Amino acid sequence: MFTQDMVICRCEEVSLGKLMQTFAAHGCSARELKLRTRAGMGTCGGRTCRSLILALLQESGQEPSHAVPLGYQPPVRPVSFSLLGGRE
Amino acid sequence: MDRRILNHPVLGPSAPGKTLTFHFDGKPYTAMQGETVAAALLANGIRRLRVHEESGSPRGLYCNIGHCFECRVTIDDQPGVRACLTLVKEGMKVFSGKVLPAPLKQAKSPDASEKQNSHFIAERAESR
Amino acid sequence: MTDVLIVGAGPAGLSAALASAEQGLSVRVLDEFYRPGGRLLGQLHEEPDGKWWNGLAEAATLCEKAQQAGVDIRCGVSVYNVAQNDGMWQVFTTEGVFEVPALLLATGASETAVPVPGWTLPGVMSIGAAQVMTNVQRVRPGERGVIIGINVLSVAIARELKLAGVHVDRMVLPALSPVTSAAGNPVQVMESLLRVAHLAPSPLLRLGSRLLQTLGLQKAGLHFLPGGGIRMWGIPLHLRTAALEIVGTEQVEGVRIARITPEGIPVPGTEKIVPADFVCIAGGLSPLAELAAVAGCSFAWLPSLGGHVPLHNERMQTTLPGLYVAGNITGIESAKVAIAQGTVAGLSIAADLGRLRDPEPLRQAMEQVRLVREQAAIQFHPEIARGRERLQQMYEQAKAV
Repeated sequence: MFTQDMVICRCEEVSLGKLMQTFAAHGCSARELKLRTRAGMGTCGGRTCRSLILALLQESGQEPSHAVPLGYQPPVRPVSFSLLGGRE
Repeated sequence: MDRRILNHPVLGPSAPGKTLTFHFDGKPYTAMQGETVAAALLANGIRRLRVHEESGSPRGLYCNIGHCFECRVTIDDQPGVRACLTLVKEGMKVFSGKVLPAPLKQAKSPDASEKQNSHFIAERAESR
Repeated sequence: MTDVLIVGAGPAGLSAALASAEQGLSVRVLDEFYRPGGRLLGQLHEEPDGKWWNGLAEAATLCEKAQQAGVDIRCGVSVYNVAQNDGMWQVFTTEGVFEVPALLLATGASETAVPVPGWTLPGVMSIGAAQVMTNVQRVRPGERGVIIGINVLSVAIARELKLAGVHVDRMVLPALSPVTSAAGNPVQVMESLLRVAHLAPSPLLRLGSRLLQTLGLQKAGLHFLPGGGIRMWGIPLHLRTAALEIVGTEQVEGVRIARITPEGIPVPGTEKIVPADFVCIAGGLSPLAELAAVAGCSFAWLPSLGGHVPLHNERMQTTLPGLYVAGNITGIESAKVAIAQGTVAGLSIAADLGRLRDPEPLRQAMEQVRLVREQAAIQFHPEIARGRERLQQMYEQAKAV
């Protein structure tokens, strides 16, 4: 009824179908879903699709834990190497 | 057709300001002082700001407040700049985002890989 | 030396800055946006008493007061990391590293999408994006728009768009999918719209002057459309219609819609394409707490507050010494609550740095938060009070460890 091709992670163009298939195959956590499909690992740092991934898992019966499941790794903004201390 | 809201029933008239000229993909456009690159382009009817770097699907602004990075463009040689957070300056040169080469993905056979890689290397050499 | 660094120059951040500065602290505020005011900038709505809340004007006033009190506000600066270092907080930004004894995260919220196929096309934007483009940049998002997602926020913004002369053709629900299970369900959407008036299910029967009064919608000219829709302020809310797909090649050209059952199932044979050159996606809001996570804060999952919320108490202290939160990062409420919370945070920081001469303003500020919350005519979520109680419990548990 709904489209499996629909993009969930806009940055990495990971589709709803890909996420559902991966979850069905591995029964995994949000973090593992991210590592397997790259959803949440794009330029926006998961800001746009994070809640969608959690919603998808909730629909499959996985209630989010209190701990932030898709961990944030600094830098939380894309920064140039020169800013981080590299040479120009 | 003016896409700018010059008069608003509660907010009043928009602040009078200078007009600026900037370039997008080589063409000149007019902006009002105080407009972001994203807003100025939209005022000129332009919605497509880049394509997805792998698939080539057209993209434009989405959140307009700097969270989603969909509006990233190259401004005065600096790539990845969010158009929704950047005010237009006179003479600014903005370029839309393009598909990036992915030589490892394109390679199917050793021969093909050589051809793709040499093409990629040649492109890089040219851009230096 | 800076006493307190505040990330976010929205209503919470600016109010906190003012409160701290008035106690003699040296305050620096950073914001990624090119001008201060945060999401207050785009807000423009009619209050129940008929007065207009003008976010642009409110932001300008707050900003001016803060600057007059000596606050240093820097815009266009991104913060990408924070870390504790020897009793101080190191803040890593695109304009250098700052080290301060007190750090306030007032980074607000991000929007949750209700995606439908085709939502990546140019011309599709979040409902907040349309609000900012219209009220802040004064550029029309397009000539003819469709809003996907019907909730308190999107209805308010639809009105703002219409006020500015932007044509909103209709509001519809997103097609049902595993990521739009509530937003695509007409009964749930209606209940959610009307829960604000504390009405039980079967709300259509109870609609009347009482609802209009509670919502301050006397002038809304609410009346019913055939087939389960409502026209509010002249904008059609099609609760029994879903957007199946956004169509277009290079950019938005239209939306394929279909009638749906009360459970959200598309009715065969009712599909059609409505033309549009812009589409707004309207889900909800969720605290933007990435810096709190990076700092090592503990969190609570509280859907009534919008998702994952950093643990904090009524003094806006987190479980980490020297780290504070205020505004939508603490849970989704209104700008007025954000302002009240910001004031608490500013005074709380002053007290913790030993610079609050009189404890009474802090006590009053905390009381003010409770008052503002009680007076809120419309809540985004009716379970906020319970969510806050749970949060306080979890904060105390975490501190006790």
